[in-house]
Amino acid sequence: MSDTPAIAIHDLRKTYGDKAAVDGVTLVVPRGCFFGFLGPNGAGKSTTIRMLTGLVPPTSGSIELLGMPLPDRELEIKQRIGLVPDESLLFDRLTGAEFLEFVGRMYALPRPVAIERAQSLLDLFELREKRKLIAEYSKGMRKRLAMAASLIHHPDLFLMDEPFEGVDAVGARLMKDILLDQVRRGATIFLTSHVLEVVERLCDRVAIIDKGKIVREGSLDELRGGTESLEDVFVRLVGAGHEFHELEWLK
Amino acid sequence: MIPAILRAQWLSMRLFRLASSRRSGVFTVIVAVLWYGFWTVLAVVAGELAAAPALRSHIVSFLPVAFLAVFAYWQLAPLASANMGASLDLRKLLVYPVPRRSLFFVEILLRIATCAELLLLMAGTAIGLVRNPAFGGLASLPRVSLAMLLFAAFNLMLAAGLRNLIERLLTRKGIREVIALLLMLAGVLPRLLMVTGVANRRLAHVFPASANPFWPWGAASHWMLGPAAGPPLIAPAAALAAWTLAAYLFGRWQFTRNLRYDFQEAQATVAAANDRPWAERLYRLPSLFFPDPLGAIVEKELRSLARTPRFRLVFVMGFSFGLVVWLPMMLRGRVEHSAMSGNFLVVVSLYALFLLAQVTYGNAFGFDRSAAQLYFFAPVSISRALAGKNIAAAIFIFLEVAAVAAACSLLRLGISPGQIGEAFLVTAIAAFYLLGVGNLSSVNYPRAMSVHRVSAGGGAGRTQGLLFLLYPIALLPVFLAYLARYAFDNQVVFYAILALAGALGVAVYWMAMESAVSAAYLRRETILAELSRGDGPMAE
Repeated sequence: MSDTPAIAIHDLRKTYGDKAAVDGVTLVVPRGCFFGFLGPNGAGKSTTIRMLTGLVPPTSGSIELLGMPLPDRELEIKQRIGLVPDESLLFDRLTGAEFLEFVGRMYALPRPVAIERAQSLLDLFELREKRKLIAEYSKGMRKRLAMAASLIHHPDLFLMDEPFEGVDAVGARLMKDILLDQVRRGATIFLTSHVLEVVERLCDRVAIIDKGKIVREGSLDELRGGTESLEDVFVRLVGAGHEFHELEWLK
Repeated sequence: MIPAILRAQWLSMRLFRLASSRRSGVFTVIVAVLWYGFWTVLAVVAGELAAAPALRSHIVSFLPVAFLAVFAYWQLAPLASANMGASLDLRKLLVYPVPRRSLFFVEILLRIATCAELLLLMAGTAIGLVRNPAFGGLASLPRVSLAMLLFAAFNLMLAAGLRNLIERLLTRKGIREVIALLLMLAGVLPRLLMVTGVANRRLAHVFPASANPFWPWGAASHWMLGPAAGPPLIAPAAALAAWTLAAYLFGRWQFTRNLRYDFQEAQATVAAANDRPWAERLYRLPSLFFPDPLGAIVEKELRSLARTPRFRLVFVMGFSFGLVVWLPMMLRGRVEHSAMSGNFLVVVSLYALFLLAQVTYGNAFGFDRSAAQLYFFAPVSISRALAGKNIAAAIFIFLEVAAVAAACSLLRLGISPGQIGEAFLVTAIAAFYLLGVGNLSSVNYPRAMSVHRVSAGGGAGRTQGLLFLLYPIALLPVFLAYLARYAFDNQVVFYAILALAGALGVAVYWMAMESAVSAAYLRRETILAELSRGDGPMAE
């Protein structure tokens, strides 16, 4: 395994007008790490992932993935990344099998290999209804299919934005097992999730982002300090006061 | 509640106000200024003609016909352009306690937006009539205004009712294309019959009868013209009021039926990949000629488009509507040996090429919506993605030309194999220019299109506007070839210029692709934001 980090971000910024969505983020994620990227809504998690995948150009700063600079070696990097984005990347008018085969071929897999892998992934994720168009999939099925698509080319780095959202307990368990297995074989996973229990169970290291800045980063033990839960730490760092009892009309 | 709905729609369009999308906004304004500028000029001309006392007898004769044309345009133009404009997205609004009459009122307001140019034209005519002393001068102002308003209201409410009816009918797979075809035929049939001379005498009863105050257009014109038109005013006024009331009842009825209609249930019946084995083999065919990822993209496009209701409808319209629109001219030209009769197939093929723009090459990522991001994060250059989409579009374009040729043969229009070959050749050359323009518009003015709502406009607006402006320019080299054939009466000169046009087309396509690729890279964030944009309370 190479000793260069899987992800090396330096002073990354993304501004929209005078508002900074990501404000000087510096982060190093070692290879083979299950990394949790946490933050409240609108903190800059999805924007960071979109910059890592090249979907959004950064305003300033540098990104290196798997030892290669982005965007200079964009195509090589993309070839080795699996992405589960926050919003749908599925083509509604294809069936699950057709979509997975298409994705496999986009990653330069020979067609027979793409078809074979698509079939085995559909079986694995229990998406066996051959003639059902993706348009008819439930939210959980769409997430499972997106997860299957991210696996088809056997990537070294996974970027996942809320991968468990809308997935039932059985599906989520399967996805977690697969991800842990991927980490064991040396892949790196960079994951955002609002379900802190999931992060606590899966991740080796965690960074918390708030208002575009990293407010804490370290191993889970370092963050929890032995006494607090991850939720306590998270709420302490980013939580605002909940003054709902002041709303008289709500009582 | 109405202001709240309109405000929500306005706010949902606020992406236009982002700096990165300002260019799109400017383009929209330019297209709007050109379009409505054209109609304003027409309205001024109509006003000047209507104000001329010397033209009194002509005005009396032609105003009912002009109003019949307004009526036909108002009701049929949305069908002809496969763009029925915005409508309320009832799925989003029905959860709120909004009275149905308010929703219906907003629906009527939206119909104004669809045909505002006709209101301009009618206002210009009305002002001209008021200025004309032969029709009562300024004293006719209340009469003319009231008649015009009622005629506009009649058209608006009828258009709203028809739109709701058609939208409901078009949700059903199988009957959708047939109904579209029948509706178009019904619209063009009278003209076809008149030009061909079939039932000419019977139709003659209807057409002079555009002056008959029984019909809404006749009633409106009689009422507006006043005593100068002849019969007592009470009859046309009562007829127009009755037509307007009937249109209102029809509009409300259809709108209420749409409220109760389960569109999702209807669409659920179409959401299955019921491809035949031969279709599967056809989808796979491009992969024999193009290596991956190009082959994979072409294959995906063929599958997706063939299963997209809106695309299928436009495809059917491409050969059917084109045929019936141009057929009368062709048949008339046969007698006079005009250019139309000699180049009928080419004209219909180019019309089909233009019509397919809105669902294929003019807004290439429109149906992909947010899924288009796959093309940006997969290890594939964007030029491959565009080329793959262009190849798929070209396949459908040639299928369209083949369908037109087959239809012409079935109608025994005397189309020779040489003319069929010429149609393919000219369409291919024109396609190079238009695909180039389409690639530029796809990355500069992308817009998410609905695959569910057959009648939704989607990306039609700006994309069609751009193509509408550039279409004559793009076809200029082809037109020059035809001009040369006409001038020199020489096939060699014709094909030589056509070959030059083809070479130039390839160069234009290549340069446009380069430009589109760099624009796609620079604008990827805006492109994906536009394509991921959710609709407001109205579906465009």
